[in-house]
Amino acid sequence: MQIERDTRGVELGPNQYEDAEGYIAPLPAGFGPRSNPLGEFPTGPGIGQRLPDVVALNSDGKSVDVHSDRDGKPVVLVFTRSAVW
Amino acid sequence: MPEFNAAGAKLYVLSYDEVDALADFKEAHGATFTMLSDPNSEVIGSFGILNTTISEDDHPWYGIPYPGVYVTDADGMIVEKFFENNFTVRPGPEQLLAAVKGEDVQLAEKRSDYQGVSVEIEFEGDSLPVGITRQIVARFSVPEGMHLYEGPVPEGLIDASIQLDGQLEGIVAYTPITPETIPMTLTADGHTLQVYEGNVVLRLPIAQNGRAIEKDEEGRWVSIAGKVQWQACDDEKCGTPEEQSFSFRVPAAFTVMADMGPGEGRVPSMNGAEHFKKMTDRHGTAS
Repeated sequence: MQIERDTRGVELGPNQYEDAEGYIAPLPAGFGPRSNPLGEFPTGPGIGQRLPDVVALNSDGKSVDVHSDRDGKPVVLVFTRSAVW
Repeated sequence: MPEFNAAGAKLYVLSYDEVDALADFKEAHGATFTMLSDPNSEVIGSFGILNTTISEDDHPWYGIPYPGVYVTDADGMIVEKFFENNFTVRPGPEQLLAAVKGEDVQLAEKRSDYQGVSVEIEFEGDSLPVGITRQIVARFSVPEGMHLYEGPVPEGLIDASIQLDGQLEGIVAYTPITPETIPMTLTADGHTLQVYEGNVVLRLPIAQNGRAIEKDEEGRWVSIAGKVQWQACDDEKCGTPEEQSFSFRVPAAFTVMADMGPGEGRVPSMNGAEHFKKMTDRHGTAS
């Protein structure tokens, strides 16, 4: 599936770009980190499906397997862009 | 976090950052949730949510996901998920907690006058910062044997929905969260419609884009107004369309932003610039 990038927006001034929903940021819509999909885009497994396996290192460098680590509890799993920027 | 623990849920936050960047973030913010590092975007790829609008040679941005949240039950089955096109907006904690807890609804008693539906409308949260969603929640109490319609509906019928005032500046509505429906075929004209049975809870995530803020001597505020509309029917006939208005005025609050530069609402330093440089280099020509 080819996902289109949302480049709608207007330049309000130096480093002031407004996107289609009225949010203002220093980069134009569709540039680098401000790359939003336009229209349909994949959102992964659906409601009613089992959460796929997630195995990754935590902030201590230890491997975490979410399904065993959650210890029978519900999970809130956030996919975020970056903790750095 | 105490609220998530109290709800019996575990919170994980996964990004394409390196382990040491996560460690710095955790320390700078006193974060108590589990942060997971996916520097090669393997987990992101396995979920199928890699942002493919960014090309592979566009460092350091390549590798990020379409941001979103999955909520599971105690069996690890997905019960709700939150994705919007615009990364600027993300679900607030109230919304996630509501998904963890689920809805506990009781059927109201059957009445014969078709006017037995009542609705309670709530703004779930105590503030509305820029780009963080809160929900307007409409809890319908629906008598047994009656139902409400999910849109779209043919002319003459009104679907149950939460609508923002069209004149409202700076408030953006996102994907409504609605209960499951069942198909029902109307005896009169054979139309098949999707209906909500039992007590119905509709949720409309909203965020503000920064244009909605009003300032006075007491602080920064956001006003939200709109209406909930519905029409209740049983198998034979329908009541009259009804609506109930709502308006809320809540503090605008501040959005927590990354520490890459100065500005209102910035959070304490976590060596952001240093980690950023590493990210720029790591999959680039330097490697």
